[in-house]
Amino acid sequence: MLRFLVRRTLGAVVILLFISAFTFFLFFAIPHDPALLSCGKNCTPDNLKIIHHNLGLDHPVPVQYYNFMVRIFTGYHYSAGNCPAPCFGYSFANSELVWPTLMDRLPTTLSLAAGGMAVFLLIGLATGMLAAWKRGTMVDKVFSSASLVLSSMQIYFIGPLALALLVYNNQILDQPKYVPITDNPVAWFNGLLLPWCVLSIIFTANYTRMARSTMIEQLQEEHVRTAVAKGMSGRYVFFRYAWRGSLIPIVTILGIDLGSLLGGAMITEWTFQLAGLGRLALDSVLHADLPMLMGVMLFSATMIVLFNIIVDAAYAFIDPRVRLS
Amino acid sequence: MTSSTETTVSGPPGEPDEITTAAPEAAAELVGRSPGQLMWLRFKRDRTGVISAYVVGFFFVVAILAPLIAKLYGKNPYTLYGTNEPGLLDDFGYPIAPNGGMSGRFWFGIEPNLGRDVFTQLIYGIRTSLGIALAVTIAVTITAILLGISAGYLGGKVDYFIGRITDLLMAFPAQLFFVAVMPVVTAVFVSPVDETPTYLRVVALITVQWFLGWMGLARLLRGQVLSLREREFIEAARVTGASSWRIVRRELLPNLVTPILVQSTLMLPTFVTAEAGLSFLGVGLVEPTPDWGRMFARGAEVYQNDITYMFFPGIAMVIFIVAFNLLGDSVRDAFDPKAAR
Repeated sequence: MLRFLVRRTLGAVVILLFISAFTFFLFFAIPHDPALLSCGKNCTPDNLKIIHHNLGLDHPVPVQYYNFMVRIFTGYHYSAGNCPAPCFGYSFANSELVWPTLMDRLPTTLSLAAGGMAVFLLIGLATGMLAAWKRGTMVDKVFSSASLVLSSMQIYFIGPLALALLVYNNQILDQPKYVPITDNPVAWFNGLLLPWCVLSIIFTANYTRMARSTMIEQLQEEHVRTAVAKGMSGRYVFFRYAWRGSLIPIVTILGIDLGSLLGGAMITEWTFQLAGLGRLALDSVLHADLPMLMGVMLFSATMIVLFNIIVDAAYAFIDPRVRLS
Repeated sequence: MTSSTETTVSGPPGEPDEITTAAPEAAAELVGRSPGQLMWLRFKRDRTGVISAYVVGFFFVVAILAPLIAKLYGKNPYTLYGTNEPGLLDDFGYPIAPNGGMSGRFWFGIEPNLGRDVFTQLIYGIRTSLGIALAVTIAVTITAILLGISAGYLGGKVDYFIGRITDLLMAFPAQLFFVAVMPVVTAVFVSPVDETPTYLRVVALITVQWFLGWMGLARLLRGQVLSLREREFIEAARVTGASSWRIVRRELLPNLVTPILVQSTLMLPTFVTAEAGLSFLGVGLVEPTPDWGRMFARGAEVYQNDITYMFFPGIAMVIFIVAFNLLGDSVRDAFDPKAAR
């Protein structure tokens, strides 16, 4: 287990290094000057030079990249102020430090992802298993076709539709907003309920289909048939034998979904005006705020890589036959 | 097999009847059929598949004929009907007629504020989005075929190298990458002060989606090639002195047609929604180019007062994606009847 973790972590570090280098060179090596944007209308060559120096843009790009990577671990004292250890530099747009801004936005994204996951896992697995249990019946057909239609919905279509119907026209739900759970758990729940549901509509269908097909597959396995033949109750076999076996593919897609959700659910955050990481990334794109964008990008990539490792490690717990090496 | 698939598509329409009527005496006259013909026969018997194929075909026909339809309909997606003619929009810029200004003249209503015709906007938007998605699908499929087969067939260092690139690109946060890189890709060609021409945005959209799109299919094809490579017919071809190129082209590729066709059918709708998502977020196509995703962006601005504007693009997209997914399932079933559903 330990060897597996060390090996995978090293692999992840290499991948992240490549991603950071690739993104950095792409962003900072483009032909026009990012300093022009923070210089404004009355830009003199002297001003530009000062800004260049302040942003560290007067060095060649590889040196800039080296500095950027070293400062993540060591921190740096800028003339404007101190930037402690995970130092991703500061924003071109509003001079805020990148890392504190990321941490400031993270709870919103985290709440969105956690609540959304609870909803889509619960509904998706329940409907999928029920469809497998009642295979071929009306229930199965209704769930299967519903999941097909729902998975074809897009957040940018049903999001505004739900807002118009439930919030603006009928005032059934509150205007979606983020309230920290520590401040007021009820307001937190109410504020995020609609985004969770809309987010889940897209994901649920995937889990319904996956749970259904793997459960059906598992129910045809020989050890399951043997258990039924021995006279064990159908319910016991269903939950103890088949369910256990169907976990692996579900955990796999859950890992992928969570990894990408934690990096910021851009379309959802944009639709519901939630200030999470995805929204931060979009705003930084619009303001050509490269350090901020770089920060979000690395954070998201780390999440994806991290959840890949977690999923692979989880296999060993779910299925003792899996050997990690 | 590739060529036979094509010929049977335009082949004699009477064939399925022949099968059913000749069934009792089938033993007497066994007809040899290529896998492509068998697939076509199975597909034609699948009612869901045929209907969804018609729906998908309808969308493509509308997309291709959009200028003609607009001409017959007598409007275009750029003219500001509402601002040019008084009596269509109220003081706040919203359509006066009920349901977003739907009428015999403007079938799907008119756009708030600018007063453009929604129907032509939608068909031109479908045209843009489908064109981009199709281009991405073709580029991605070709790349995946090249890299997947090279990795699987050549093995060794090439396989290792392509495998690592695949791993690396799969760890990229795709949507974030698209959003972040779109301005960069356009900035390579145009200075930020100038206006970016539309074709350049289209090229950039295709490029970024292609860049992070090919890994899944390439990995799938590599696995298939790895198992096919050890089969006897490949070995036989090699022993008889066939060149690698011939083996790939004549022995491997025909056996890979199924996964390639099935995967690219399932891929295309995801590219349509991804492109629409980018335009929705404001980094895809911009005014005044009609685009499916941009209609959602506009709809999200006005939905509180005029939900109708978003209604038609939304419903059209749901129908399109459902039909395309059903078509993908049917194509898979037709090619591979053993695959469990």
